[in-house]
Amino acid sequence: MFIGLEAEEYDRVYSTSTLIRRIFSYFSPYKKQMILVITFLIISSLTSAIEPVIISIAINMVISSVDFTIIIFLIIIIFILTGSSWIFNYIRQKYSARVIGSVIYDIRKNAQNSVLNLDLSFFDKNPTGKIVSRINTDSNDFGDTVDLSIQVISSVVVLIILIIIVSLVNFILTLILLSAIPLFFLGTLLFTKFARKMTLLGQRALASVNSIIKESFSGIQIAKTFRQESKLYEKFNKVNKQAYSVNLRRAFTLNAIFPSLNLIQGVVLILLLYFGGNYVITGAINIGEFNLFIQSLNLIFFPLLTIASFWPQFQSGLSASERIFALIDTQPVVVQKNDIKSGKLKGKVEIQNLIFQYDKNKNVFENFSLKIEPGESVAIVGHTGAGKSSLAKLLARFYEYQGGEILIDGTSIRDYNLKEYRRQIGLISQTPFLWADTVENNIKYSNESASRDDVKQALEVSGGYEWIENLPEGLDTDVRERGNLLSMGQRQLVVFARVLLENPSILILDEATASIDPFTETKIQDALEKTIENRTSIIIAHRLWTVRHVDRIVVLDHGTIVEEGDHDELMKLGGYYANLYTVYFRHQSLQYIEDMGKSKV
Amino acid sequence: MQNETSLIEFSPEKDPFRNSRKKSSRRWILAHIFHDTNKIFIFIVLFTTILTANLATIIFVFIGNAITAILNLNIPIFMNIFIIIIILSFTNPGMRLANFMLREVIAQRMERDTRKEFFINLLGKSQSFHDQQKIGELMARATDDVRTLNYFISPAVSLILESFTDLVVPVIYIAIFYPVQLIIEPIIFVILFLIALRSYINKIGPISFDLRMNFGLMDATLNESLTGIEVVKGTAQEDREIRKYLYNIQKYKDAFVKQGIVQAKYLPILLLALIITIAFGHSVLLFYLGLMNIGQIIAYLGILNLLYFPTNISIFVFAIIRLAGASAKRILEYMNMETKIDENINGVIKKIQGQILFENVSFKYPNSKNFVLKNLNFEIQPGKTVAIVGTTGAGKTTLTKLITRLYDVSEGRILIDGIDVRDYALKSLRSQISFIEQDVFLFSSSIFDNITFGRIGSLDEVIEVAKQAQAHEFISELPDEYYSEIGERGVQLSGGERQRIAIARAFLSDPPVLILDDSTSAIDSKTEDQIQFAIRNILRNRTTFLITHRLSQIRWADLILVLQNGELIAMGTHEDLLCNSEEYRKIFIKKFDLEEQKLIKGGLEECLSD
Repeated sequence: MFIGLEAEEYDRVYSTSTLIRRIFSYFSPYKKQMILVITFLIISSLTSAIEPVIISIAINMVISSVDFTIIIFLIIIIFILTGSSWIFNYIRQKYSARVIGSVIYDIRKNAQNSVLNLDLSFFDKNPTGKIVSRINTDSNDFGDTVDLSIQVISSVVVLIILIIIVSLVNFILTLILLSAIPLFFLGTLLFTKFARKMTLLGQRALASVNSIIKESFSGIQIAKTFRQESKLYEKFNKVNKQAYSVNLRRAFTLNAIFPSLNLIQGVVLILLLYFGGNYVITGAINIGEFNLFIQSLNLIFFPLLTIASFWPQFQSGLSASERIFALIDTQPVVVQKNDIKSGKLKGKVEIQNLIFQYDKNKNVFENFSLKIEPGESVAIVGHTGAGKSSLAKLLARFYEYQGGEILIDGTSIRDYNLKEYRRQIGLISQTPFLWADTVENNIKYSNESASRDDVKQALEVSGGYEWIENLPEGLDTDVRERGNLLSMGQRQLVVFARVLLENPSILILDEATASIDPFTETKIQDALEKTIENRTSIIIAHRLWTVRHVDRIVVLDHGTIVEEGDHDELMKLGGYYANLYTVYFRHQSLQYIEDMGKSKV
Repeated sequence: MQNETSLIEFSPEKDPFRNSRKKSSRRWILAHIFHDTNKIFIFIVLFTTILTANLATIIFVFIGNAITAILNLNIPIFMNIFIIIIILSFTNPGMRLANFMLREVIAQRMERDTRKEFFINLLGKSQSFHDQQKIGELMARATDDVRTLNYFISPAVSLILESFTDLVVPVIYIAIFYPVQLIIEPIIFVILFLIALRSYINKIGPISFDLRMNFGLMDATLNESLTGIEVVKGTAQEDREIRKYLYNIQKYKDAFVKQGIVQAKYLPILLLALIITIAFGHSVLLFYLGLMNIGQIIAYLGILNLLYFPTNISIFVFAIIRLAGASAKRILEYMNMETKIDENINGVIKKIQGQILFENVSFKYPNSKNFVLKNLNFEIQPGKTVAIVGTTGAGKTTLTKLITRLYDVSEGRILIDGIDVRDYALKSLRSQISFIEQDVFLFSSSIFDNITFGRIGSLDEVIEVAKQAQAHEFISELPDEYYSEIGERGVQLSGGERQRIAIARAFLSDPPVLILDDSTSAIDSKTEDQIQFAIRNILRNRTTFLITHRLSQIRWADLILVLQNGELIAMGTHEDLLCNSEEYRKIFIKKFDLEEQKLIKGGLEECLSD
């Protein structure tokens, strides 16, 4: 089970029959309603198909000067049929909206559930936007297709009934009528293909325009400073004109469909008139039947259009369902073997002969062992790709390892109840993520029952509370998407407070590398100091201060420990760590800062 | 002296829509519709619309006559009519095609021209205006909203025109060719149709809006859960996120079902069918009274069936019209905005030396009550470096915006070389102050073009400044070196690399005053060295405002301004601040584990007694 492979290729191909069976299974909880839908569908189609027949009978009666009251009677029947057809259709639409709504709900629920239980490697490989689009938008497309399918069934029923009726009257005329069908389909299919290509071109042209506009507005300050507005305008004008011609061509193509279909209708009408007229003259059919054919031509227009545009829509609906099912069927790689409740852990970490591959053919850890005592603080350092963040993520059980063992308090992390275990771990990632909610709610995220005082206390301990008072609404300030309202440093402080409130047994911290103002940085140092006190802490260190204040530094190189000790010891060694220091930490030292100034003139 | 003028900074061609913009959105849309050659097209569109309605109706009249001829066994007449029908059947689609094409031309022109108008107009607005806008909002106007205007013409308005003629023309033909009383049924239908349509639109409007809103919420919630998946898993809160989402999709489902039910209740189709039935009965009655023949009845029914088209189409059209009105308003809102900074064309034009004085400067944003900067007082000599430090929101960037007059001070004044900034000609002021922002913006053209954006230079000159900006090395490693394209389709540069290109650009244009908002950080010492040297080089021989977190820059600045909540809580050199500011002291004590004694020569007591 190599994580890389599975995650990248989670899309699978389902056979059409499997797909349809699976789709049906989503409808089976709503069997009763579906039966209602189909029943009313058929009835309403029947009634609408029979109307023209009755009118044609009425016309014949009129010619034969039948008693007027009988005609009135027929008309009343038509009236009632029309009314009932509408009512049946209403009921049908109501129930189909309910059923489709429920099915879409179920699909979305399953998809989100499935996705949330996947491990982190899945999210590494797949952008959030695409996943969201699958769950929300593809399910919508699927719903539209089901709706269209129901309409198509209705159209097909109407069509079949009409054709049966008219074929009983006159075979040749029926043939003429039927000739419209293949022509219609061909026309619509051709157009759909062409239209899709044109639409793509149109979208691309528009994308160019948009990117020029975005760029122009983004760089307006520079353009104005250097008085280069006309340069921007020229670029814009060019693509705007291009988009105009491309879109015009596209619109022309799309607009040609209806007139073409009308033309086909017209040709069939002419043929019907000619042959039908002749048949009336020779007495093969009567006027009522003649009218029936003329009316049928109009009646089959919309159903034919629906059926003809059905196929591509059906295909896209099937693809949509395929994509969603692939998502639902993706299995998480991280699977627990047991369900031991961890309770409050002491925080003893033992990694034994760990083997971990993220991508096939690339070992991150080959035979890695490490022991950490409860309450010990350990800094992990090494070049990029040494395996630092993988280690942290493995401990959080975000990825599955292939060999060796990771034991916490003597039990393998595979054997714990995962949710309970994770609650014992406090994780602070490099770029802190906050919810678009208040500061208070962010800090209380995993502790909904905490009080405001608890929150204040946690903030007090992690760097101080005063900075909150400078926010527009203090603790109730909405920090916006991802916490954008706050600076990077401030977001870190919020996350520290949250973790302190969680009071985990093990802290895993991936230090930020972004630039933070010196005042907030000081607060973060305070927060860090307090947080690692008496708590097992594993820190991927980027700050000089951190490596100088932890109990132990572990130096990684390509998944192996090359040196271990505290800062002064390792510097004395003058080896790998000393080299690392020169590359990553030296510029944070007081010496460097002092030296910088000496060359200033 | 604050004159409120809306001087246009850029105007490439005549603006035919200037007046209509000021009047109303309706006028403006009309001005576009009737612009230039559109007038001819509109005439043709109207003409063909009416013509096609006529042709479609008249075919049925002829069919009726054909049937009569058949019943009378009158073959010659039948053949004549038949030929006429053939001609009409081919002409009608042709007319419709021409009609569609021309209305598309008007619609696409609408989009193209409004977009161009918007773009030029915005380009001509001052920097102050742009600084206050969110790019996303501007983009939405220039993309979605102009698209809506396109759809407004085609299909919306065109379909309304078509529907209108398809309702009116048949009625007229019925009145002409058949007993006039037969128009009662279609007229009653039109009245009932309009009432039912209006009621439907009023019902479906809020429901559709609800549905869209719920979809947006669904999207936002799911997006957030997945973006923060590490936090969700790390804190084992999957159930909570599931609950959030279920709530949203339930609301969506409810809105969806509601919409389906309202759509199912669409009455007009029923009304039409019933009315046609009644009309049939009416026409049969007339037959028995000897006022109509069979052919005419069939034709009459055929004509009434033409009414199905407008009945079916109307649902889709009205939503677009409402949206278009809103779009037009939004676009115009931006175009009609005026900025309040006077360009001061007759102001002072002189070469700036770089002495800057802030005198009792306070500032609050135009529509806000709170002061963002309070009573700032400091002076900086030409060629010196000012480091501005403080937490986010302290007012650091705002302070620098006042120097280039992106905004004007609310109280106090800012003097450059002893002259109030408001007395300078704005162009002269701005062209001598360069700004390197936090997220450096580079155009999607070559590196060479970006560096020479403001001042033409030879490749040698560009290489020279790139070296000083510590950018030459990484540029030389690119496949096309200085001619490499930047951007989506080109090379991706890191924040630090972009910053150094901007610094190179600043070297070339050589302004006397520079504002550098540095937020880059380096993971390794080599990159850090490069950034440090580049910044230190650009600082030389010009007055620089440096917004930075780098202790090395702060330590050696000629003047440090410490801002908190818009107030200057400490000011001076590094040594001054060590003496006077406990918070500043703490930075060094904490970070380097220093003792207070070692930090300050002679100790804190001596320092305080100075």
